[in-house]
Amino acid sequence: MTEGISPTRLRVLFALFATATLLLSLRVGYWQTVGRAALLEGATNQLQSDLVVEAQRGVIRDRSGRVLATTVDLRSLYAIPKRVPDHAEAAAKLAPILATPAATIRSALGSGAEWLYLKRRLPEPAARAVEALAIPGLGFEPEPKRMYPNDALAAQVLGFVNDDGHGQYGIEGAYDKLLRGVPGRLTVERDPKDRELAVGLRTAVPPRNGVDLVLTIDLEVQTAAERVLRRAVEKEKAPSGSLLVLDPRDGAVLALASWPTFDPARVAVADPEALRNRAVSWAFEPGSTMKAVTIAAGIDTHVVTPTTTYEDKGCAVIGGRRLCNAQGKSYGTTTVTQILERSANAGAVFVAAKLGQDPLYQYLRAFGFGTATGIDLAAEAAGSVRPLAQWYPVDVGTVAYGQGIAVTPLQLAMAYGAIANGGTLYRPYVVAATRDADGEHRTAPVAVRSPISPDTADTLRTMLVSTVDRGIAGGAKVAGYSVAGKTGTAQIPSEDGRYVDDAYISSFAGFAPANDPRFVAVIVLERPQSKLLGTVTAMSAFHDLAVDVLRSARVQPDRP
Amino acid sequence: MRRPFQARPRGGHAVPRRRSGVGTTWEVRTFVVVSAAICAVFLLVVLYLSQATTVATSGYETQRLERVRDELRRQNALLEVESARLDSPARIEAEAKRLGLVRAASVPVVQAEPIAAKR
Repeated sequence: MTEGISPTRLRVLFALFATATLLLSLRVGYWQTVGRAALLEGATNQLQSDLVVEAQRGVIRDRSGRVLATTVDLRSLYAIPKRVPDHAEAAAKLAPILATPAATIRSALGSGAEWLYLKRRLPEPAARAVEALAIPGLGFEPEPKRMYPNDALAAQVLGFVNDDGHGQYGIEGAYDKLLRGVPGRLTVERDPKDRELAVGLRTAVPPRNGVDLVLTIDLEVQTAAERVLRRAVEKEKAPSGSLLVLDPRDGAVLALASWPTFDPARVAVADPEALRNRAVSWAFEPGSTMKAVTIAAGIDTHVVTPTTTYEDKGCAVIGGRRLCNAQGKSYGTTTVTQILERSANAGAVFVAAKLGQDPLYQYLRAFGFGTATGIDLAAEAAGSVRPLAQWYPVDVGTVAYGQGIAVTPLQLAMAYGAIANGGTLYRPYVVAATRDADGEHRTAPVAVRSPISPDTADTLRTMLVSTVDRGIAGGAKVAGYSVAGKTGTAQIPSEDGRYVDDAYISSFAGFAPANDPRFVAVIVLERPQSKLLGTVTAMSAFHDLAVDVLRSARVQPDRP
Repeated sequence: MRRPFQARPRGGHAVPRRRSGVGTTWEVRTFVVVSAAICAVFLLVVLYLSQATTVATSGYETQRLERVRDELRRQNALLEVESARLDSPARIEAEAKRLGLVRAASVPVVQAEPIAAKR
């Protein structure tokens, strides 16, 4: 057989085979030694998948356990355009469900992308409707979405979660680290159909879910607070307002409403000003609501009693300046109780003058003015009480009736809370408890200090009840209950250091039932259209709120 | 030519026959042992494959059930949100208003102590 083949040909063939064998051997040798790692990595990548398992964000609940914010996986609709048989037909079918023009969907499908989202985080009914269409080339991918079942309710308390899953503002911002939890990892081997191999490698570091928060907020009270605030703001065409409800017995915040407000689910279209929580971050000159603090200081230091009298001539002179009552009224012989009933500026100046600068300053600081309360919410303002060294002689008079000092609605509410509870100033708080795998951890109320004695607080309560029953705050009366409170009308400082003409801030601070206070509320309206009569609207709002709060808390009437 | 089976060894009786029996037994035994080993290995392989298949099938079934569980949990979470939305006091107030309901002008309160004192 081989006789016909020349030896040269045989040698060439042999050489070729030998070379090929050598090359193949070298290649195999290379993959077994130098290229082994890359080969292994490639094979492992084909087989294994390494995933980050996101932790479930904690749920936020009200004091009764009702959901205020929770995270749910919604389905995002994606498309692989090459697999969608008829773009025009698919777009026409999807348009009404996705509430997107068919042309937009068609252009997205025809954009040349291999894979794209058509709509992210679809509402469940829409996702089901799309699923029912069974259009080839469309699919769903779950994506977490923060949901607020009560819509805009308590928006400034809750804050919101941005697209990156980070909490912003309010509780979502302040407690973001706790709420977010710690993500886990999962490494598994998968088959060609991307199914997890039951007998394959599986290593997992489980995620640690975020902590659930139980707030002090009461959904019923919050709803009532937002309703009455909105009504008051709309009636007065006020650019802003805030309403705060606290439990004076421990400083728990029951409701916190701020106007303008926003919907946490639609932050992108919200007015930036609406994101601001005015109840804790807005400092304003409070006006006559401060008279209660001035008189509390006077009574606590025994320089005056409720029956101490002075001769009201309409104005008082202090530091060479005349400080007058509203609308130039003069009341003649007036008791300290009547100073509150009539809201006499000259009377407040009388008490402050007897008290002196230093004690007045010390009491203001003891009531917590000029210092942040330490509430567990972001962006709290400290207000402003100028250092005593910077006071002019006239300041002791103006501060006595709440001008020349800036406070937040929260600080004012805490001060009235101290009067209501017998003289203890608490640190306000919003998170009542945290719940994690170890169980529930409750927040202990913190008593900061006692600015006044229980006797002084008791006396003040009686005087403030008289202010509502017989005085200027009659609009806050609630049938069947004793109510204590005080109105406030303050001028607004302008940038040039003077006061704005004909514009005011109206407020009301009060609590009920006065004998065993269950709540303290402060309502503030900025620039009400009825100007000096803005306090009437504020009192009316307090009345409406008190009716709802007392009913929902099932508080027994303390009056016939 | 030698006839080994016909030659009678010294002093012995029927040794060749015995030798023949031992050889046969050994062959049979070897055959049986090897066959048994092959069968055992085969059975073990079958058993292993059967178990591996069962585990794999169970694994896929577990995954399917996990997906069902996750979906049920998701649906449950959605229902909780819907329940919270329907329970919202603001929604109930709006619905009551739509139905023409008005707020009670007064709420009578029954004091428990005087009633208890009468009994």
